[in-house]
This record gives sequence, C-alpha cells and structure tokens, in this order.
Amino acid sequence: MIGIDRRLLLNVDWLLIGGAAGLALVSALTLANLHVGRAGGTVAPRQLVWAAVGLLAMVVVASVDYRRLVRAAPLLYGLGLAGLVAVLVAGRTVSGARRWLAVGPLTVQPSELFKLAFLLMVVWLLVARWAQPLTAGVLACLAPIVGVPFVLIIRQPDLGTALLLVPLTLALLVGAGVPWRRLAVLPALGVAAAPVAWLALKEYQRERILVFLDPVRDPLGSAYNVIQAKIAIGSGQLLGKGVAGATQSRLAFLPERHTDFIFAVFAEMWGFVGCLVLLAGYALLLLRGFDIAASARDPVGRLVALGATSLLAAQILINVGMVVGLLPVVGIPLPFMSYGGSSMLVSMMALGLLLSVRMRQFQ
Amino acid sequence: MSGRAADRRDVGRQRVSAVAAAVLLAFLVIVGQLWYLQVLEGGHFLDASDKNRIRIRPVAAPRGLLYDRHGVPLVDNRPAFTLSLIPRELPRDEQTRDAVLGRVAALLRIPYQELSEAIARVPADSFLPVRVRRGLSLEDMARIEEWKLELPGVIVEVEPQRTYPSSRFAAHLLGYVREASDEQLRHGRYRRGDMVGQTGLERLLDEYLRGRDGGERIEVDALGRPVRVIQHTDPHPGAQVVTTIDRRIQEAAEQAMEGRPGAVVVMDPRSGDVLAMVSTPAFDIDQFTGTIERSAWLRLVQDPDHPLLNRVIQSQYAPGSIFKIVVAAAGLQEGTLAPGDRVHCDGEFRLGTWTFKDWKEEGHGTVDTRGALAHSCNIFFYQAGLRIGGAAITRYARAFGFGQPTAIDLGSEKFGLVPGPRARRRGSSGWQAGDIVNMAIGQGQVLVTPIQVARFMSAVANGGVLWKPRLVQRVERADRALLWSDPGQVTGHVELAPAVWAFLRESLWAAVNDGGTGAGARIPGLDVAGKTGTAQTIAKSRADRGQDHAWFAAFAPARAPEVVVVVLVERGGKGGQVAAPVARKILNAIFFEKVAAVGLAG
Repeated sequence: MIGIDRRLLLNVDWLLIGGAAGLALVSALTLANLHVGRAGGTVAPRQLVWAAVGLLAMVVVASVDYRRLVRAAPLLYGLGLAGLVAVLVAGRTVSGARRWLAVGPLTVQPSELFKLAFLLMVVWLLVARWAQPLTAGVLACLAPIVGVPFVLIIRQPDLGTALLLVPLTLALLVGAGVPWRRLAVLPALGVAAAPVAWLALKEYQRERILVFLDPVRDPLGSAYNVIQAKIAIGSGQLLGKGVAGATQSRLAFLPERHTDFIFAVFAEMWGFVGCLVLLAGYALLLLRGFDIAASARDPVGRLVALGATSLLAAQILINVGMVVGLLPVVGIPLPFMSYGGSSMLVSMMALGLLLSVRMRQFQ
Repeated sequence: MSGRAADRRDVGRQRVSAVAAAVLLAFLVIVGQLWYLQVLEGGHFLDASDKNRIRIRPVAAPRGLLYDRHGVPLVDNRPAFTLSLIPRELPRDEQTRDAVLGRVAALLRIPYQELSEAIARVPADSFLPVRVRRGLSLEDMARIEEWKLELPGVIVEVEPQRTYPSSRFAAHLLGYVREASDEQLRHGRYRRGDMVGQTGLERLLDEYLRGRDGGERIEVDALGRPVRVIQHTDPHPGAQVVTTIDRRIQEAAEQAMEGRPGAVVVMDPRSGDVLAMVSTPAFDIDQFTGTIERSAWLRLVQDPDHPLLNRVIQSQYAPGSIFKIVVAAAGLQEGTLAPGDRVHCDGEFRLGTWTFKDWKEEGHGTVDTRGALAHSCNIFFYQAGLRIGGAAITRYARAFGFGQPTAIDLGSEKFGLVPGPRARRRGSSGWQAGDIVNMAIGQGQVLVTPIQVARFMSAVANGGVLWKPRLVQRVERADRALLWSDPGQVTGHVELAPAVWAFLRESLWAAVNDGGTGAGARIPGLDVAGKTGTAQTIAKSRADRGQDHAWFAAFAPARAPEVVVVVLVERGGKGGQVAAPVARKILNAIFFEKVAAVGLAG
C-alpha cells in the first residue's frame, strides 16, 4: 500500500470531494429520469458505480506525490500515445468514430485518460531544469508534444478532445509565466493554421460548424440537435418543468441526452434557477482548484493544479457553451454529469491531482 | 526563500488569477445566454416543445344517415380505409422519400404523381395526415401494413364511409359525397380532406349530416410513436334525416325505368310527399365515396346522356297531351267548354292556310269532351282551345303551378315556361291562333318539368291543392331530439267547381279504363286514372326522327287518390305505349306487392 503521512490527512479538501460526489449524485438523479438504452431502462446505477470507482481513483492519485507523477510524465505520456495508436489500429467503432478500446469486459477511451498524461507531460517540460528560462526554442519543443496526439485524436475522429489540448496547453503556458508578448504569437499561429485545419476536418465536422453559424441551414438534419437542445433549455423557463414535465428529454426529442447534452435535460427540468445553482457548483469547484494552484508551495504543484483545474474548466465551458448554442457542436462530455465511465474516472482523477497538491501545500 | 523565488511565486499567483478570471468571464457569458433562452425567449421555446410532442389526430364523425318514411335506411356507413401521408414523418432525405412514395405507388398501383402532388401541397413539417386515397381495399390495406416498417410517414386511417343499397340507388335524390373541392376550401368552411355532400339531399342537409369531427391530442416521442392520449374529444355523429321517400317504391320505380332514359316522380297528393324520385340514366353513386379517377369523372361529365342531370327537376319538356287537362279545366270552369260539346274528328283541322293533324290519321269520329280527353283527340282541343282563348289557358296553367318552380328542397330547379300572348311576334298584340292551337295540345312553347307535372296531377287528384313537394320530414339528432321539421306547405289553390273536378277525374279514369290512350296502365282491381302525353321533339338526326318523349301522369285509386305517378321516357315514343306500362308496373308494386313484401319481412 502507498504510505500516507498522517499530516496529509489533515489537509484533505473535503469541499472538492463533497462537490464531486454531489455532482455525481445530481447526474445519477437526472439519468434516473431518462429512459435510454435498448431495454429503455436507466443507466443511473451504472453511473453511481463509476462515480464510486472514480472516487477510489481520486484517492489513489491523491496519495501519490504529484512531483513523482510529473517525474514519471514521459513514461505516462508514452503509454498514452501507445493507447491512441492502439485505438486507431484495433479500436471499436461506435457511430462512425473509433474511440473505444476493449479491455477485458470494459471499453475504455484512451483519449480521455491521455488528457491527464498530456497535462503532466507539459508540466514536466515547463518545469524541467534545462528548460529554464522558457525561451522560444524550449516552447518549440512543445509543438510535437501537442501536435502528435492532436493529429492522432482528430483521426479517430474526436474533434472535441483534440481541441481540448489547446486551452489546456495555453493555460499552462500562462501559469508558467511565459511573457504575455510571447503568448500573443499563439493566436496568430492559430489563425494561420485555420485553413489547414479546415481541410483536415471530416465533412460532418465542417457541417456542424456551418450549422452553428447558420442554424436554419438544415432544420431536420445537422441542426436538429442544436435546435432541440435550445427548445429543451428555453422551455424550462425560470423554474423548469420538473422531472415529469420535461417532455423534450423524456420523449427523446433531445439526442445524446444522457451524454453530451445532459445539461439541456437538467435545464429543462430545473429552469434558469436550477442552472444557476449547478453552474455555481461548478464555479465553486473550479475556484477552489485555482486557489489550490495559487497557494501551491512550488511551481510544479501550481502548474499541476492549474492544469487540472483548467482541464475541467475547459470541458465544462465548451460542453455547456455548445449545448446552449454559443459554440459549435463538438463531442465533449460534461464532467461529473454526462454518463460515461472514462469521463467520470478522468474527472475524478483530475480532482485527485488537486487533492495531491493541496495535501502537500505545507510540506 | 530568496526574494527572486518570492517574486516568481507572485507572478505565478497573478497568472493563476488571470486564468481564473477568464474562466469566470466565460461562466458569465453562459449565464447571459441562459437568461436569454430561458427567461426572455422561454415562452417561445415552451410552445415549440409542445408542438414537438403533441399531435392532433382528427377522428372523423360518422355522417348522419338518411331514412325512408318507414324508417328503412337509404344509406349506411361502413368503416373504410384511407391512405394518408404525414409529411413530417416521411424520410427527410429527398431520395429516400421518393423511394417510399414510389413503393406505395407500386403497392397500390396508383400513379406516383398523385402522391407527390398531394405532399407538395402542404408544408413539409406538417404533422396533419394528408388523405391521399380513399376506399382502399382490404388487400391494399394489408399490403401497406406488411411494408409498414419501411414506409415511415405512411398510415392507413379508418374513416366511416357511405355505402348504398345498390350502386345507383336514388343517386340524384341522395346526391354524392366527395372531398371538399378547392373552390369550397376557398370559402373557408371546410378543411382539406373533409367529405362534403355535393349534390342532392347530401348537399342540402350537409350541415346537419356532417356532424362534428372529434379529435385526439396525443403525446408522441421523437419517433412519432404515441405515448399517451392527452385529450380525447368524441366525434359528434351527424343528425339523421327522415325523408318522405318510400324505399320500396323508389326501388320499384328504378326497376321499372331500367334501361330507359327519363324520369319518374311518385307523390302523395294528400301531402305533397315525394315517395320516389328517379332520373335515368343514373351514375354510380358509390364510385364517388372513394377516390374517383379523373378519367372516370370526365367520362361522367362528358357523357352525352348526361347521367349527372336530375331530369326530375332540371330537364324541361313539352307536356304534350297532358296539357289538355289544363285546357279542359279552363274551358269548363270559364263556361267556354261544356261536357256535352261534340266535335267530329276526321284527323285534320284547317286554320287559314295551315293544316293541323291529329295523331290518329283516320280521326276519332265524333267525340265529346270526355271522349276527347280519354282518347286524346287533338282536333277537339284545337277547336276548344281557340274558343277558350290563350289568356284563359295560360291563366289556368299558371294557377296549376306551371312556369314557376315547385320550391322542392333541391337546388337548381328549372322553371318551365308558360308563354305570354306576345311571346311570339313582336309588334302584334293578342294571341295568334296558331300559337293557341299548338298550346292546346301541349306543344309549341309550353315547357314543364316532371316535378311540376306531379304537383299539377296531385292538384287534379286532391281537388286543387298545390303542395310544395316535400322530401324531408324531419331531421333529428342521434338522441332523437328534433332539429328541423317540414310540416308540409300549400303553395297555391286552384278553384274549380266540384262538378268540374269530378268530370276531369272521371275522364282520366276513362282514359285508362274505358278504351282510352292510357289502357296500358290498367290494373284489374285498381281504379287508375291517368293521361298520356307524347311530346314532339326536334329530330337530332334523320335516324332520330319521330322519337318523341313519352309521358304518362296517373293517380290511383281514382275515387280517393293516394298516389300520383308521373313517368317520362325520353325519346321513348308514344306515351300510351311506353310510359303507361312503366306507370302500371310502379302502381302495381305500390298497391299489390306491398303485402307480399310485408309478409316476407314478417
């Protein structure tokens, strides 16, 4: 067993753990009212099982010193890349995307787990002794670290997860103290890369972006999800329709309602007020994460905490942003809420990283 | 800890705060969007979500039934299958949709165009079923159901549909029921796909018969599968109509006219009740209940025999010798003609340079007024007519209701014509002798409809009462509550001396029973009184020459008349030879087959 210093236990952040458990409970309650799956049953119990497994994983991650994790980053990153390659070669295809890998009775999404390895890898580079100070040359080393998995993930294709690497990297660069003027180069690079990226996209991905720009383009086709989600959210009005009245969700007008679009279900059931409460919960969790980063005792801890928080923040914002129609539809689950084991596990492990930093704050 | 390290730490804190600030800002943007969607536009989206989940399925009200005077149904309803398309549930992709429509067309062997045109007329996101084809056979229905899974948006609805005792039964009287035309839809009273009475009683009483459609508000899921019924409104069945028709007499009259173009009216002279109304050739009334092919419709409209025309009220003919009753009534009442007046008939009558002939070349010999009516002697009436005068004849003709509509409850009735004195030659006043002579035997310009003749003959039978012909006794709701009733209406009265009425009736009895022209209608055991008529027509062609319209108007029993039967056979020939036997069959059925029928029923 991993030995745990008694003092560490005094600094366990119950708010993080309680917040995560609370969100998982809200998720299970929401899912309990949706009939999905072949038998029309509910997936709530399975989600709770995943939450429990996730909490365990969180404890395991928290018990390991984050510095050891960062030292092991190249190895983890290498394993992650191997997983991404494996999925491209031997992955299971579900609705046109090759994202899942069968491991015994389970199917895992290597790209989900890879996010954490990637986060540690970027931190490893940014804090490496040889890399100080962070010159342009050092930053150029980041290009393959970001680029290779980006291409691999987009080939699955999983645009959402691939894009997630960008804000995560950006947040870490900001946190590492890279001068603003040097960071300003990045948007320029982004604009330059846009046409290339457009060509690399699959047809349906382009269509989604066009639909986002012009929703009435195809009301029964690609825009269907977007329109139905807006109807679900909007019809919740101030106080929501309650569980029984949430017709958009319960009568299955809303596609992907138990996974990527679960926020719309919640919004229909509980209205604007409910959404405010849920978003406040997320914001509280994230602010705690930023606080842990700010009060970390070393740059490694700061970056690990900032990275974990930013990873969750980016997922929450992109998911909710796309569901409420502010961003084009890309497949990103809502941490702790969307149904799915890999997402739950990784989100809990990200909190585990935060806990790890928090507990060792005064060491 | 060195100062530099502390500085670095501060920079690090600032950087974390910067990221946190960016994240919070993004949260605020999202909250703003939620405020817009849920609070500002919430009502709009709530409507949209209701529209998503609620379908309104109309449930057609069964059309009210029509009964005969004894409560025997004249029409009935049966469940019929209707092919409908739900635009919103058809495949979204055009190619797949065309494939679905193509398959339906192939399964039912109907033109593909019919389906695509029906769909093109309505918005593509409409949930209301578009009725494409009515009257599917059981096999058609089974074929569609078999392929159901591959035909999204294609449904078979069950609607009540008219069914008739036989395909042409009382076609003109009942009228046909057909989907509301574009013209009717423009007036806004009907919705697309509504079945509307288009002619006859079905049109007259459409408001009563149609009832009120019910409906169901159904909650459906995203695949259009019904989840539950939110609200169910029962359809209000249409009201039932009790007509004056006697189904047995109607059937007998149709049978008697089989194969002859023309018209029959059977009327009760005591009330004006129409017991039967036949116009031949008839059209297949049940052909309209389904979806009638355009070609079949055109064939009907363009048929030279005009099967859609109701000859009883919409065709006018010269009355021929039937009009002699009017002339006799005028003369006898005015004193210009006496029962004992005699004329020697040698088959010819000279008026100036003109020679008028009798229908019987060798003449009738010496005839009195009774004999002239019974044998329909033209020569007698030429002379009598000149004596009586055009003014008196037309006055009595109008009094008997000729030249005016009978106001029967069916639309588009023809008026007929009673000519005026100056109708023929402009500038000269007064009656021309030639016109009077022609009019005296019911030729020339006089025009009548069969229903007018029936009303007139009823007045002769009942002593001068002109009844408005009655078709509908009452309209009542399913629970028997009375909605409308027609107590019968007297529209005029002809005042003749009792002796004149008696004389006319006796003469008409003689026409049938005392060697007169109406002998063909004679029935042992029944006193039939009647008058033949042969209306000359303008030959359409050489081959057609001499094909006159045959009339026979009768009432029975002669002493206490219960029925009036008027028969017209178009281009049938002589009234006595063609129309009188038809009337005899009908009278025979009325008076002598009644018992047998009741006996069978018992």
